[in-house]
Amino acid sequence: MTGEARQDFAFAFLSILFEGAPFILLGTLISGFIDIYMPPGMMDRFLPKNKFLAVLMAGLLGAVFPVCECAVVPVIRRLVKKGLPVSCALTYMLAAPIVNPITALSTWKAFTGPVMMIYGETVQANLVMTVSRMGLGFLVAVLLGWVVASIPMVWVLRKRLVDELKNDMPDHKAGEHGHACCGDDHSGQHSHKHVESSHACCEHDHSHEHIHAHKPDGSQRIVAAMRSAIKDFVDVGVYFSIGIAITALFNTGIAPGAAWLDSIANRQILAPSALMVLAFILSLCSTSDAFIAATLDKFTYGAKLAFLVLGPMLDLKLLFLYQTVLRKKFILWMAVGLFITILLGAYYFQWFLNQQIVP
Amino acid sequence: MNVKLQRIVFSLVVLTWAAVLLYFFGSGRIVKYLAPDFRPLVLYGGLGLAVLGLFVLLTAGEKSSCGHDHSEGDPHDHEASDMNPFTSMALMLVPILFAVANTKDSFSLAALSRKSLFDEPLSNNVFLAENLPPLTMADIEKTHKKSEAGFYEFNLMELYFAAGDPEIQKLLNGFKVETEGRLVMEKENNEAGNRRRLYRLFITCCAADARAVPIIIDFGNETPPTIAENAWVKISGTVTFPVERGATQVILQSASCVESEAPWEESFMRNY
Repeated sequence: MTGEARQDFAFAFLSILFEGAPFILLGTLISGFIDIYMPPGMMDRFLPKNKFLAVLMAGLLGAVFPVCECAVVPVIRRLVKKGLPVSCALTYMLAAPIVNPITALSTWKAFTGPVMMIYGETVQANLVMTVSRMGLGFLVAVLLGWVVASIPMVWVLRKRLVDELKNDMPDHKAGEHGHACCGDDHSGQHSHKHVESSHACCEHDHSHEHIHAHKPDGSQRIVAAMRSAIKDFVDVGVYFSIGIAITALFNTGIAPGAAWLDSIANRQILAPSALMVLAFILSLCSTSDAFIAATLDKFTYGAKLAFLVLGPMLDLKLLFLYQTVLRKKFILWMAVGLFITILLGAYYFQWFLNQQIVP
Repeated sequence: MNVKLQRIVFSLVVLTWAAVLLYFFGSGRIVKYLAPDFRPLVLYGGLGLAVLGLFVLLTAGEKSSCGHDHSEGDPHDHEASDMNPFTSMALMLVPILFAVANTKDSFSLAALSRKSLFDEPLSNNVFLAENLPPLTMADIEKTHKKSEAGFYEFNLMELYFAAGDPEIQKLLNGFKVETEGRLVMEKENNEAGNRRRLYRLFITCCAADARAVPIIIDFGNETPPTIAENAWVKISGTVTFPVERGATQVILQSASCVESEAPWEESFMRNY
């Protein structure tokens, strides 16, 4: 790398890092505190009994429980074990990294400035991109949730997880019931016996006995939350660093293939597909990927939308994380389905924008 | 790996990032990297990272508890990381430290050529034109200072976007203006060597999305002054809008060109 190339890379790299790092910090702090302070059974209470409505609602839960895609997979694993319907869990898993206030804020900030013409009116690009991103993300996640709701769980979940669920299903054995569903705050060290008590999560009465753990003092939980947050920050920061390094190389023309990428930037069919592949490889966090998409200024908004919706749902690191919960065959079909659906959504979006241009 | 050691490693990584953010903000160099509304976020982010890193470092050996149970098979671990902590540390620190060591707070001309430096002026660009106020002769006299030598002070963006607006071209053609920017050699249509290109950057959010806003400087029969490539200059002359290479160009026939100090805000910024 020549001196000039190093200078260009460094300048572009730092500018994107300065722009995105505060948003990653915000996301990981919230995620860390949710990790520690939110009881696992809490989400069940937000969902209606009708499975189609429940999937719809699950697609919006990210607005209340915002997590990025790295943090959501372990949470899902725990929630499925706690009895959350698999269709709702997967819908939440795909939608929450996009349909959440932190991602909305970062997308809004990243696209602030440019304007678009919609129905003859000047509209801020940040409004269009934020709404379109959240809308398409929600739609795709809900569609997948409805598909999953109509297929057997054994096609979706890993065999080991299914076996664990089956073992837990027939009866709630004493001591195996999660604390969160009883709503007890577990103050103090105590042991007690519930008799014919009613639990919101399983919706039937039963008796069981369980031993409550020591309730930690507030400072111990804050320490745990901060440790969880710093772990999340580093996990996300690693991929963010790699992602912006690659972006900076393309942005300044240093990377081989940068010219080719530029040459397809305005191709209606190829550009969204190319950016979706890039999103898959870069494995960026949804809290900061908009800042990278916004710098791909040669590309159409449709291609950028494809990048912003696919990335939080499917990328290289998620491929590994998903395998802790889902069957490989299902992941493959899900990947194909996501790719095609998002591509169609991005095409439609770009077609709509093209119709707004007055010749 | 020992979990306490992992906490210390992660704290050091986060504190390094905090130091970089706070240094660039405190030294004022951040103005070269980000649009104004993002700059305070760097301060808050740097302070937040410093607090997070110090907190975890100082409590690395203390007991903690999440306060909820974990079901069977669910490891009770909120700190299990994706990869080896030293690998994470290397991946997070090597690029940022490399960048800090190599940045000159600007792009080279090679990179700028990818950012429209040598492109033809845009004839229709809602993206940037939206940032400009409408212009009439009354506005010009009211809103633009006139120098003692009789040149109106224009910013480069106003001149650049005149190329896409026939009304303003009529208004400004033959007008005496003064402007500032960075001067580089003109590549095209410059066999006599008497042309240069004057540019500034326009930043929407961060330097990576910067676009060059250039016009052509023509020294006519005069020998262009000896000024270092890419130096800041103040230049005055007569603006014209000839069609060259199939596009309307903005050409300033130079009357005076002197080296100058860089302005505090070197780039044009969105909404500023």
